[in-house]
Amino acid sequence: MLAALAWRNIWRQPHRTVLSLSSIALAGTITIFLLALQQGAYGTMKENVLHLIDGFAQIQPRGYASDPDLRKTIAKPGALMAKLDALPAVTASAPRATTYVILSNGTRSYGAAVFGVDPAREIGISNLGTTITNGRYLKPEDKGVVVVGTGLARNLKLAIGDKLTMLGSARDGTVAADVLGVAGIFSTGAPELDRQVVEMPLVRFQSDFAAEDRANTIAVSGQRLADIQASLRALGELAQKHGLVVRDWTELEPALHDVILLDASFSILLYVSLIVIVVFIILNTLLMSVLERTHEFGMLMAIGMRPAQIGRMVWLELLFLAGVGTTIGITLGVGITSWVARVGLPFPGAEALFSQWHMPSTLYPQIDLTSALAGPMAIALSIVVAGIVPYVRVRRLQPVSAMRAA
Amino acid sequence: MRARAAILVAIAFALTPPSLGRAARPDADALLRAAYDNWRAKSSTSDITMTVHRPDWERSMEMKAWTRGDEDALVRFVAPAKDAGNATLKTRDETWVFNPKLNQVIKLPASMLAQSWMGSDFSYNDLSKADDILVKYTHRLLSSEKANGHMVYTIEAIPKPDAPVVWGKQIVKVREDGVMLGETYYDQDMKIVRQMVTDRVGPIGGRDYPVVMTMRPVDEPQKWTRIETKSAQFNITLPAYLFTLSNLQNPRD
Repeated sequence: MLAALAWRNIWRQPHRTVLSLSSIALAGTITIFLLALQQGAYGTMKENVLHLIDGFAQIQPRGYASDPDLRKTIAKPGALMAKLDALPAVTASAPRATTYVILSNGTRSYGAAVFGVDPAREIGISNLGTTITNGRYLKPEDKGVVVVGTGLARNLKLAIGDKLTMLGSARDGTVAADVLGVAGIFSTGAPELDRQVVEMPLVRFQSDFAAEDRANTIAVSGQRLADIQASLRALGELAQKHGLVVRDWTELEPALHDVILLDASFSILLYVSLIVIVVFIILNTLLMSVLERTHEFGMLMAIGMRPAQIGRMVWLELLFLAGVGTTIGITLGVGITSWVARVGLPFPGAEALFSQWHMPSTLYPQIDLTSALAGPMAIALSIVVAGIVPYVRVRRLQPVSAMRAA
Repeated sequence: MRARAAILVAIAFALTPPSLGRAARPDADALLRAAYDNWRAKSSTSDITMTVHRPDWERSMEMKAWTRGDEDALVRFVAPAKDAGNATLKTRDETWVFNPKLNQVIKLPASMLAQSWMGSDFSYNDLSKADDILVKYTHRLLSSEKANGHMVYTIEAIPKPDAPVVWGKQIVKVREDGVMLGETYYDQDMKIVRQMVTDRVGPIGGRDYPVVMTMRPVDEPQKWTRIETKSAQFNITLPAYLFTLSNLQNPRD
């Protein structure tokens, strides 16, 4: 009975109701779209940065992160990788061995990090190979060759085919030295990688540094970052059985994680202000209509309706508005966002800014239950809570004075 | 009147800086200089065994070292076969390494000086900045005590303002005859990073010398590096070509 009255009441002022509904729906649509776009951007950012070299997660010896010592190794990485590859979420795993060396060409020498990688497995994890600007990436049959970053190649005045000498400290404490040919020069766009990193075949690394059948880390990748995040537990258990630990992307790229957290907290501020504005608009409209209908409420009370019932009726009107508005908002928001997610949203002119985070200039929103429901639900809930104000107001009305009101 | 004069003298005495009051106390600068002269003299040549200990392995290397003045040093490894031929040359500002497998001389970039030297607990900095403590630090005598018939002085060395140094502070123990007994290295937060202790003092090359010294990083008790000087000669005439790049690559000794 009350519900029917409330439903009829809101359509007594169709213009006002349509306006209220549109503001709720619009706010819902906007929050869905922005949230999804943001998640999409974060997702691309994360995956692109992690695809460069890190992988989505890494298995490491205990204490390797705080002190990456060549001597902290994973013995027989092949056996562990076979088990990792068997996990449903893992699409690729790759062994790496790393240490710091002196690289020199003639009279020039620089310090750099050298990665021993398995070229066949590495391409499943890292797209460093696709950033080669000169020459080629490592091949499985390669022996004494390296790929170097463009900054390092410039500093050492290296060209494809040049010989590079490498001097470091082997695992057994002896001097590790080798002469390597430059097979390719990569340009990832990340200055620290391009200036300080070289990759060489793992087998050669192992013999140069007396680390036969050993690796320092195993990088794993999945279809999506979320898949690996969801199976961190399984990865951790597997690592633990081998006396190792798993490190997720937030530990591999803490700076990126911080940037995302900072950006997200700023945008939450934006969403909250949007929701607050919408809630005030709706509340204002409703208070107006309550004021207008004071005379009518007095009449209703005079013919026997209790103030609490009138209050509930007004609140129901608000519930209907919020419900219908958010439903339209969710439908529109999910519809538009899904469409944009398919075609992509280009940001012409933002290439330079985006490339800083290895992002393409076309973004794809990423819609899921959270991004689809969080905004509209927050709006609906706020409106329902704000409805207490007119409810309290109506309950204080006296029949006679209310009927005398203008 | 006499009483007032006596009080004045007493006050004047009390105001006199303690260093003046105890003129017999040796000068910290001179003690460190003496330790350095004892260690390297005007020139030196020595045969040294370096033992690197790790939780899971231990290895020893034999080397021959030459020094000239405070600045020039050449170290050439002679055994075991795996290490023989590797050499490090330190001249005034530059550090070079020679590797026989590469048959090439490589100048160490500054960024690599903090790296371990030949897998030991010493870094290239220990070699290339060995005389830093003399010229880039200010020295203060902390205490002196008698032990085994010798005076042992504890000296604190604090980097001069803006000096480009590796350590936040060093504490050095020196005997009155210049024999170095220990050195403690502090980082910028004044936390102890590593400690070098003289395990044995003995006569070498006609002087008392810290024959066996052990360097231990403080946070890793399972690791240490021991330097044992087996023989040494001091203040000898060394050929000028010794500390050159060409000698580093093609030894004439």
